[in-house]
Amino acid sequence: MNHLDDDAELYALGLTERERDAEIEAHLAECGDCRARVIAAEEAAASLAAALPAAPADAKRSDAVPARAATVRRAWWPSLAAAAAVVFGVTAAAEGVIAQSASAQLARTDVALTAIASSHFGHTTLTSDPGVIAKALYARDGAWCYVVATGAPRGAHVIVHRGAAARDLGALDAGAPATLFVRDPGRPDSIEVVADGRAVAHGKPAF
Amino acid sequence: MVLDGPAFDRAYREYAPRLRSVAFAVLHDRDGAEDAVHGALMRVWGGGTYRAERGALLPFLIACVRREALDALRGSKRRHLREVRASAGDPLAFDDTAALDPLEARRVRAALETLPAEQRDVILRAYYGHRTLAEVAQDTGVPLGTVKSRLAAALRRLHSTLSEGPR
Repeated sequence: MNHLDDDAELYALGLTERERDAEIEAHLAECGDCRARVIAAEEAAASLAAALPAAPADAKRSDAVPARAATVRRAWWPSLAAAAAVVFGVTAAAEGVIAQSASAQLARTDVALTAIASSHFGHTTLTSDPGVIAKALYARDGAWCYVVATGAPRGAHVIVHRGAAARDLGALDAGAPATLFVRDPGRPDSIEVVADGRAVAHGKPAF
Repeated sequence: MVLDGPAFDRAYREYAPRLRSVAFAVLHDRDGAEDAVHGALMRVWGGGTYRAERGALLPFLIACVRREALDALRGSKRRHLREVRASAGDPLAFDDTAALDPLEARRVRAALETLPAEQRDVILRAYYGHRTLAEVAQDTGVPLGTVKSRLAAALRRLHSTLSEGPR
């Protein structure tokens, strides 16, 4: 394939034809010159984006989502988006603060995000009781697992099963949403959120 | 890979507002914007497709989110919204007073002012007005090929101005 020429900039702006994008990406994997050009164009586009206004905050999407609202939302959101909303659950006030100091903080978290972005991880929405939304993200190599839940009873534990063996990974924290990050959970067949001896959410990761 | 829970949380929370504003600017719809951000992130992160040689992460993600949002806009579901907005005529104004990042917005404004008028115009229409290239061509009576080359040249020039200027 020939070099991208003006398509390098148009691609960075999302304005190339989608049918051509696969070709462009394949070329970028091989051509350092075009890659440098797209990277420069994406940097310029990111500067343009910094001048956009903040998206309006959603009062409904605060940490304290009432059980009923959460259930309703789950019904009409794509399930992935609903689960991801739990991960993204940030209060409007916190977002304002974050937006103000965004530039300063971005550099610091780039390392962590780069680690996430370049690792292979999967995610699964757990089948939950009404009022509970739970999601598990996990490294495909079994190096870590991250469970996020809203509406689960306080102190609920995350239990993983592999074959006949069950392992208690520990309790979700008291945050909203409640989270648990565990290293080396292995590659379990199933993940459960358990409270009072009963699973309030369960699902199977696909490694 | 070394990554703890709080770092994971922080990472999500610090990028989300900016990515959301990119998607919202295109879609003018909060839930649609949220979906576009999630879609793009899950695609990038779930696939593990990002590599360090692809440049800094944030500009890469912003480009991914914008593509996702433009795709959603092109979807039939939201086409009528686009038509309503297009007929209302978005002002070709660059408003840095409400910017997510006011300092950077001021630098961008200064850089835009150094562009030739026809390059600035195409950036305002195509980027801040979210017109398709064909619409820009139609609105301005400039051939599509010229619109493309002007926009590309404008972005290259912006990059060199912004990377030379004071930060």
